[in-house]
Amino acid sequence: MKALGRHLKDINRNKAMLLMVLPASLWFICFSYLPMLGTIISFKEYRFSGSFLSSIINSKWVGFDNFKFLFRTDDAYIITRNTILYNAVFIFIGLVLAVAMAIVLSEIANKRLAKWYQTGMFMPYFLSWVIVGYFVYSFLSYDRGMINKIAVALGADPTQWYSEPKYWPLIIVLVFLWKSLGYNSVIYLAAIMGIDKSLYEAAMIDGANKWQQIRNITLPMLTPLMTILTLLAIGRIFYADFGLFYQVTRDSGTLYSVTNVIDTYVYRGLKTTGEIGMSTAAGLYQSFVGFVLVITSNSIVRRFNKDNALF
Amino acid sequence: MASLAKSRDFHRLSPVWNVTFNLIAGLFSLACVFPFLFVMILSFTDEKTLARNGYSLFPEKWSLAAYEYIFKAGDQLLRSYGVTIFVTVVGTALSLIFISLFAYAISRRSFKYRTYFAFFAFFTMLFNGGLVPTYIVTTKMLGLQNSIWALILPLTVNAFYIMIMRTFFSTMIPDAIIESGKIDGAGEFGIFFRLVVPLALPGLATIALFSTLGYWNDWFNALLYIEDPSIVPLQSMLMRIENSMQFILQNTNNPSLGMGVLQSMPQDTSRMAMVVLATGPIVLAYPFFQRYFIQGLTVGAVKE
Amino acid sequence: MSSTRKKLTFGLTSILAASLVLGACGNNKASDDSAASGNGDKGETVELSWYTIGTPQKDVDKVMEEVSKYTKEKIGATVKMTMIDWGDYNQKMQVLTASGASMDMMFTASWAFDYVQNARKGAFAPIDELLDQYGKGIKETLDPAFLEGSKVDGKNYGVPANKELPAQEVWRFNKNILDENNLSFEGVRTLESLEPLLKTVKENNPDVIPFQVDKNFMPYLPYDYLIEKFPLAVKLDDTEYKVVNVFETPEMKQALATMHKYYKAGFVPTEAATLESSSDVQATGLWFADKATTQPFADNVWSTSYGYPIISTPQSDALVYNLSVMGSMQAISANSKHKEKAMEFLNLLNTDPVLRNMVDSGIEGTHYKKVDDTHMENLPESKNYDMPTFSLGNVMLTYLNPGDPDNKWEEFKSYNDAGQPAILLGFNFDPSKVSTEIAAVQNAKEAFWAPLMTGTVDPESYVPKAIEKLQAAGLDKIMAEAQSQLDAWKAANNK
Repeated sequence: MKALGRHLKDINRNKAMLLMVLPASLWFICFSYLPMLGTIISFKEYRFSGSFLSSIINSKWVGFDNFKFLFRTDDAYIITRNTILYNAVFIFIGLVLAVAMAIVLSEIANKRLAKWYQTGMFMPYFLSWVIVGYFVYSFLSYDRGMINKIAVALGADPTQWYSEPKYWPLIIVLVFLWKSLGYNSVIYLAAIMGIDKSLYEAAMIDGANKWQQIRNITLPMLTPLMTILTLLAIGRIFYADFGLFYQVTRDSGTLYSVTNVIDTYVYRGLKTTGEIGMSTAAGLYQSFVGFVLVITSNSIVRRFNKDNALF
Repeated sequence: MASLAKSRDFHRLSPVWNVTFNLIAGLFSLACVFPFLFVMILSFTDEKTLARNGYSLFPEKWSLAAYEYIFKAGDQLLRSYGVTIFVTVVGTALSLIFISLFAYAISRRSFKYRTYFAFFAFFTMLFNGGLVPTYIVTTKMLGLQNSIWALILPLTVNAFYIMIMRTFFSTMIPDAIIESGKIDGAGEFGIFFRLVVPLALPGLATIALFSTLGYWNDWFNALLYIEDPSIVPLQSMLMRIENSMQFILQNTNNPSLGMGVLQSMPQDTSRMAMVVLATGPIVLAYPFFQRYFIQGLTVGAVKE
Repeated sequence: MSSTRKKLTFGLTSILAASLVLGACGNNKASDDSAASGNGDKGETVELSWYTIGTPQKDVDKVMEEVSKYTKEKIGATVKMTMIDWGDYNQKMQVLTASGASMDMMFTASWAFDYVQNARKGAFAPIDELLDQYGKGIKETLDPAFLEGSKVDGKNYGVPANKELPAQEVWRFNKNILDENNLSFEGVRTLESLEPLLKTVKENNPDVIPFQVDKNFMPYLPYDYLIEKFPLAVKLDDTEYKVVNVFETPEMKQALATMHKYYKAGFVPTEAATLESSSDVQATGLWFADKATTQPFADNVWSTSYGYPIISTPQSDALVYNLSVMGSMQAISANSKHKEKAMEFLNLLNTDPVLRNMVDSGIEGTHYKKVDDTHMENLPESKNYDMPTFSLGNVMLTYLNPGDPDNKWEEFKSYNDAGQPAILLGFNFDPSKVSTEIAAVQNAKEAFWAPLMTGTVDPESYVPKAIEKLQAAGLDKIMAEAQSQLDAWKAANNK
């Protein structure tokens, strides 16, 4: 009884804040938590019978059978390795370059030019992977691609780019950075703009030069954001961008050793059978691993600085 | 503005570095714009020339056929512009309100349940129920089939943006400001709208920008929920052309399909034209957001 | 600053208010709709909802209004058609079906919203009894092979469209280049027999691709595949019905070796293994020969659509495969509340020329005009109602276009009559017990399939590696399962 009273008191004390989180919380319940109940079908052989609910009830339990296809062959190792390695590189280089680019943009003296640069960097965001894939092809095509044309003009032999796995890790990383850098640097740019200018003024008075200001003020002020974004990215480390690995590589079989990732594997594997249970199972597996990784890294972050942790 | 620029003078870069920075940003941005120019040129290229010579910056023969193909749909295109703009404006406004309130609350140390709610939001970033359950909630529970709200509501809240916004709030809003508001006797909502929001404008602009782009580029919700052609958004028209081309190309070896659709196949150049039409307006609207990034708002200016 | 903020707040509030009002309106409209359909049910006539594939056409509702007037009189039902674009159809139908949405009829085929797969999962209602009761017309018009071949586990789940029945592989030639080099395709049938022609073209026309091949290419083999583009098959004349791995057959080995020879000789495009389609070369006409599936008057269709003459010669017999039977079908949803009416409608669609042509070409006088009893001509308005004819039921009822030969449908009929059933006609493999292995084999197979088929890689070294990979992924288990299903089917059907 007493505990209840205390709870009510707490709620009363926090009621303004609770009111603030209410709208989005309702949204989360509707659009995220309720649908989550559907993950049950990853343990079922899903068959249709009437409404979705009755289909679920009438479908047969299969335990973890739906997960097996992810681990059936050596491919399990390749897709896991590729997915994690690419994402690790994306997270690390992406972070460094996005922060660097944000600082560069914020320091450019001519603000009008800076605006133009920034607008330009955003353009790739608007192109779908299919179209990006066509562009990459216009560079790498064997007989019509620009790179081979240049190579031939210089007297070198043309390369069959789409059947040479060794170049692709680099190509994929470059294409990824090209497409995402503008978008990601905006977040940091906004954070830099939000830094209290009086901090810089104080540093100036102390005689700090530009580089010292960046190192001692800008970067530390950006650390919380960098930490959060990295943690969030770690949560999605088992997810790969399907379009990047499927459209940009033209689904070339010869390249699978370096381009097959979990998402492309699932797509190819389920084309013939179309089992919803199996695709849901794959998603659950990806989420679950990400979840464990985030919880772990979050607790490490907490140990150093509680404020930078996710929760 | 002039005085503002001047006041920043004292911590400018040296000219050498300034030039270097300009080069880095300039070249990268050129690399980003280039394909887009390419798309525009391609959209004006003659279809046969494109097939024969491949992608080229200086096509032998120009043509307006791609745009004619798209404008054949007539008022559909205009309607779709209207739908997209409405959805983007209303959706972004709603997003900003939902997200900033939630993010602000969980950024406040005095909020007892902040960790729970942070986790509550974060969890949705990793786990989702998949397509079918979401579809059922949206259509059967909320009854949004064929309603313009089916294009708005599913994208309103996003845990990723909440986490970013929370970080902005907790790093950029000094506790002192909130305390001063309390001393003045303002309520929590009063403090939020009068003191916190102006200080968080760069962060809010970021979220607004992302949300705008998210709404503008969304086509999937339209695929799921919209069958009524009068509320089909622009991006969905584009993706339809793109997906259908892809599908038909992949199945040309199928005798039934191959023979049946030889004529009705959309062409490569019309796809490019659609990209130009669907992206043009939002690119033009972009500078509006930039105001908050590049010029920035000094704390002093707001305090006045 | 503060006045700006006030304006902003005011602006936001008004947007919110406006959107709420609009939302309320939207909801009202929705409830009106449901009320209306409720009334419809009470008043005897039912509304059938019909999902079909194709780019949505502007005048669909307008035409369906006319169609409804006609069907209301004939069978007491009205029709609401929803068109879903080609590329969206699979996904949209998947979601609609899985969520238990109420639909009555829908398009299905081997290549769109997979007929066999979804029939097994319970998406469609079995129609055997409905056919007997309300679909007599369908049974009379269709060649029995259609219904026989589209049985899934002994039951029919869809009404196949009456169209070309057998599939026959041909070599197509770009006639201009054939004539230019004074070549003739006399005696050409096998892959190997093409060689001298390709060689001549390679020498005389350096700009031309002698043998156009893309990543979808597969050499013709006298085998019937269990699953499309999957290495399990049964030889066409094998009375034992033995399931084999095609990569282990001498025919495949020879075909791949020939392809590799052609690739090395430069007959085939260098990037064939990643070439998504041949549409570019087809547009420019810079190709000489390729492989295609034919039907009566196919040469005319190809020639008109490419804009230059095409001629073809067979490379296989005309056989009726499961795939050719399932090229275009209409199924009744398992969730439909009006299954009988839906079948009555499908029956009418497949037997009544008035209805069939209305659905296909629109309203007479608006979208098309009739020239005589069997011919029609499109009017300018037809651009708002341009339907994929083959996807909407019996094509042999449709009026002929100005350029069509008068005996078009007779030719189709005799072509269909001549087609012999392929060995696996009517047998559909059920993969549910081995879906894990299938997923793994699919991934293993995709890695080398296109490179091998297009001749890009040397089969001598690649095929053994491929076989090993397939076996590691579990091909043998799938093969054993397929064999036991096939044996059971063989016994049950007295083959």
